[in-house]
Amino acid sequence: MKIKVNFSNLKNHQNFLFIIRLIEEFLQKKGYLKIDLPVLSPTLIPESYLEVFETDFRYFDKREKLYLTPSPELFLKRLLVEGIGSCYYLGKSFRNSDPPSSLHSFEFTMLEFYKTGVNYMEIADEVLEMLKYISFKIFNKREFYYKNKRVLLRRWEFFTVSQAFYRFAGINSDELFDKKKFMKKAKYKGYNIENFSYEEIWSQIYTQEIEPKLGIRGFPTLIYNYPKEFAALAKLNPDGKTAQRFEFYINGIELGDCYTELSDWKEQEDRFAEEYLERKRNKKINHPIDKGFIQALKYGLPDCAGIAIGVERLAMVFLGFDSIDKLKVIDIIL
Amino acid sequence: MKINAGNLKKGDFILYQNEIWQVQKAEFYAPGKGAALMKTKIWNVKTGKNIDITFKSGEEVEVVEVESRLMVFLYKDNENLYFMDEKTFNQYSVPLTAVSGLEKYLKEGEKLYVYIFNDVPLSVRPPLSVRLKVVKAEEAVKGDTVSSAKKPVTLETGAVIMAPLFIKEGDIVIVNPETGEYTGREGK
Repeated sequence: MKIKVNFSNLKNHQNFLFIIRLIEEFLQKKGYLKIDLPVLSPTLIPESYLEVFETDFRYFDKREKLYLTPSPELFLKRLLVEGIGSCYYLGKSFRNSDPPSSLHSFEFTMLEFYKTGVNYMEIADEVLEMLKYISFKIFNKREFYYKNKRVLLRRWEFFTVSQAFYRFAGINSDELFDKKKFMKKAKYKGYNIENFSYEEIWSQIYTQEIEPKLGIRGFPTLIYNYPKEFAALAKLNPDGKTAQRFEFYINGIELGDCYTELSDWKEQEDRFAEEYLERKRNKKINHPIDKGFIQALKYGLPDCAGIAIGVERLAMVFLGFDSIDKLKVIDIIL
Repeated sequence: MKINAGNLKKGDFILYQNEIWQVQKAEFYAPGKGAALMKTKIWNVKTGKNIDITFKSGEEVEVVEVESRLMVFLYKDNENLYFMDEKTFNQYSVPLTAVSGLEKYLKEGEKLYVYIFNDVPLSVRPPLSVRLKVVKAEEAVKGDTVSSAKKPVTLETGAVIMAPLFIKEGDIVIVNPETGEYTGREGK
């Protein structure tokens, strides 16, 4: 790997920082408290599909393992338990094994904010208002163009995951939620399903057939109610099949991921155990599970919802670029 | 040879749905909702069609060994481009459909790499740039759109491209043959 200086990106970089300033201005106006957090932690939330960076702290002949945080969630939720109320972190997060590409960087700027007393759909309202705020401050209008396509911020275009699979991939909800039927359908559609799991094939179809169709009809798209297999730390819906999770897209680019936060510690502990086993199966770095997180949930997490937004991606869209590296003056490349 | 899709690189030839495709773009993608994927843009060497295909990074993909052989471009007709292998003097034809517009920037007598699989020519490797003479260029009109500041010029092969206002007849321009974009002027 090497260090690359992209001095000609200085103007873009300034614009990126300006968007960060707008985001913070908006959140502070809305009463969110800014928190700065460590990026090194001795334990982490087990997430089966994320790889982490491992390092160690040394003093005399002792060593302690530390991990760069892939998200600030484990810290912010502890603070929510303490009663901090609506709050946010805007800073670096780290994800190993993500080679740099137009939408990925192993080190990136993440905005994560939580609001108490609400569910995921109220966060959707807040996000739309934030997008309008940024657009108005940059373009003096509540709309802008990305790659010659108009993006109107008047409202969301809504799809449930189930509606989107039916409309864009011809997979009905009966097939979507029945693993056997789903795999059969995928095979019929020409996907190679042998030795792959439901989650893997689902993810492939989602990326191949659904994502490119989101956020391309004049409005940003909000896609919600993911199958429970993708619940992560989200609360399930009363139907028991889907989770209160949404993602939002502009021009096929995923910009944010939101959950109504799961507050049931027992269920969270079970999901952690599953994720831990999955990590082991995939030979991922065996970091300690954050047991303190479960302890905090036991004490009681207030009803809340939160969202994580990739700030480089968001800025890239507002500034009209097709790659996040256009925002960087110093880049680490392969 | 089978490889994991996670190892695909730009330029690789693969067998996909019984046809040969060349990888134009391969980007790793971790959606955070399942295993890592490889998002690719692949180009059909026969039809010149581009499609976007997402592979699971652990999925096996058949990579085929395609040879690229340096040949002389002889001429073209309405259907094919004709090449000659200078070592064997064998002639090969490549259908126009496989080169997707590249023919507009090729001069007869030029040497190019032709992709060959089982002794059948598939397509032509586009050169990074071509140098072509301008045979027609209008005098630039002052006050024309300031933002673009470009005008159409005709090249010796008949292709028309947009070039900066200062380009005159007789200039040699450097063009990206894949996009038809002006990239520079040969120094005088």
